Amino acid sequence: MYYDLNVPYSANNRELQRTLAFLAELGYNSVALDHTVSGQVPANITNQIPSPLPFSVPASLQVLRRCTVHLSDPSQNHRLNSISSVYDVVALRPTTEKCLMLACQAFECDLISVDLSIRYPFYFKHTTLAVALQRGIKFEICYGPGILNSDGGASRRNLISNATQLIRATRGRGIIVSSEARRALACRGPADVINMAVLWGLGQERGVEAVSREARSVVMQAEMKRRSYGGVVDVVYGGERNETLVQEENAAKVKQSRSKRKAEVLENQGEEVGDSPRPISKREQKRQAKKARLENAKAQEPQAKNVSVEEPAVEGDSHAQLLPNGYVG
Amino acid sequence: MVRIKYRYLLVHILYPDPVESESRSTTRASDKSIPDLIQFHRPSPGDLQPQHLVRSIRDQVLLLYGDYGLGLISASLNVKYLSTATSTAIVRCSRAHFRIVWSALAFMTQLPRISKHDSPQPCVMQVVRVSGTIKKAEEEAIRRARAAILRAKRGNGDGSTDNVIGMLDQLDDDNLGLVGRGKKKGNAGSDLSDEEDELEMDSEEDGD
Repeated sequence: MYYDLNVPYSANNRELQRTLAFLAELGYNSVALDHTVSGQVPANITNQIPSPLPFSVPASLQVLRRCTVHLSDPSQNHRLNSISSVYDVVALRPTTEKCLMLACQAFECDLISVDLSIRYPFYFKHTTLAVALQRGIKFEICYGPGILNSDGGASRRNLISNATQLIRATRGRGIIVSSEARRALACRGPADVINMAVLWGLGQERGVEAVSREARSVVMQAEMKRRSYGGVVDVVYGGERNETLVQEENAAKVKQSRSKRKAEVLENQGEEVGDSPRPISKREQKRQAKKARLENAKAQEPQAKNVSVEEPAVEGDSHAQLLPNGYVG
Repeated sequence: MVRIKYRYLLVHILYPDPVESESRSTTRASDKSIPDLIQFHRPSPGDLQPQHLVRSIRDQVLLLYGDYGLGLISASLNVKYLSTATSTAIVRCSRAHFRIVWSALAFMTQLPRISKHDSPQPCVMQVVRVSGTIKKAEEEAIRRARAAILRAKRGNGDGSTDNVIGMLDQLDDDNLGLVGRGKKKGNAGSDLSDEEDELEMDSEEDGD
């Protein structure tokens, strides 16, 4: 299973349809269409990407919907919770160092996707990024701008520089690679992407995981956050009730309802048997004490009788109990 | 005697952009009729020669890695096989530096220009197999061609394109025949010169 979690959504259906067909042809199984939000987030958020797309998609391709929020002003309310309830994956794109730090530490998201085709005046610090990795947030490398190389090599140079920086700072953990291809021409096959990742210093296994397992975990975690209880428990299939079990339960209920008061039944049994071996409950003690007092009051004239209810003190053979089984006897 | 270790890259040339036809009015109609699969795997221009591909790889390596990178790979770089009909190529490079050649292929966005005045055709070079022997690369190429034909058949689902499929089948058989011939030639004539060698499918490694 190969994933490409960043294909920008555009209203140009012909181009998008071609891109999706081309990605399926290259060997991807799952693709996320990306809608970008920048600036003020509106109060009522609706999914901008139509759920069944208006054109035919290859049957082997699973299409997810993702939202990328551009972070430039950290004080602004981005309504990330309401966005995550509508989209499959929520990504953040910080533009300044402060925003990156906040995205790593505080904001609720699944993915941090730094635009790697421009130059940043700061280093990626391991301490900052490690917090995000601790929280299960992955980092994304988008290779598309570097491939198309529209500005004479600057974007490619910056992509390679930033990607190696990011891999160094995260120690290669929690990295996913996706295309961000506005045209089908900027897409590359999974094997080619892995080779690029190897050249950037990610290692073969990590490179494979970057397009398969890590990306899958992003999708699964996002789904768990949205659907499940506490992000932990998810009922996939509740199952059907067993007929015989249901009947047995009903029968038991009927039996219970016939003898309504449990205590009454127990009392009757106790009277029949005599002194019950089971310890007397506190309520029973009180009742007995009251009874005794009343009897006392009745029988005060003939003689003062001292009634006391004693708990039968249970004294087991403590030594024998303490010893392990083998040593007894 | 230790022989030089090579890697053979099996490359598919894919065309993501729609077919350009002469008149604008017929473009849409033709796009509708040709499925995406066949458009992506369409034949390359007939006059594309292996040396064009070699030259464009060298240019790309020079752009990405400079003189140092070009020096590392230029001794071993060789296009062993190029089929314009199926848009498939087998590129040989040294084992130590095959990732340089691979990344050069990945960063390519257009077909090598054959003459000065034709417009660059956008394409994607996808490496589908890396193998240590050319034999395995050949087998993979045949397997993939077969699978592609089956998929195209299934995609159509009806017999309306029997002619196309018949043509492709024939092409597949030709491919097989070529491989058979190549094997015989490889066994018999191992003293082929490099120029002749370039155009033939050679199952034996010319290790020296």
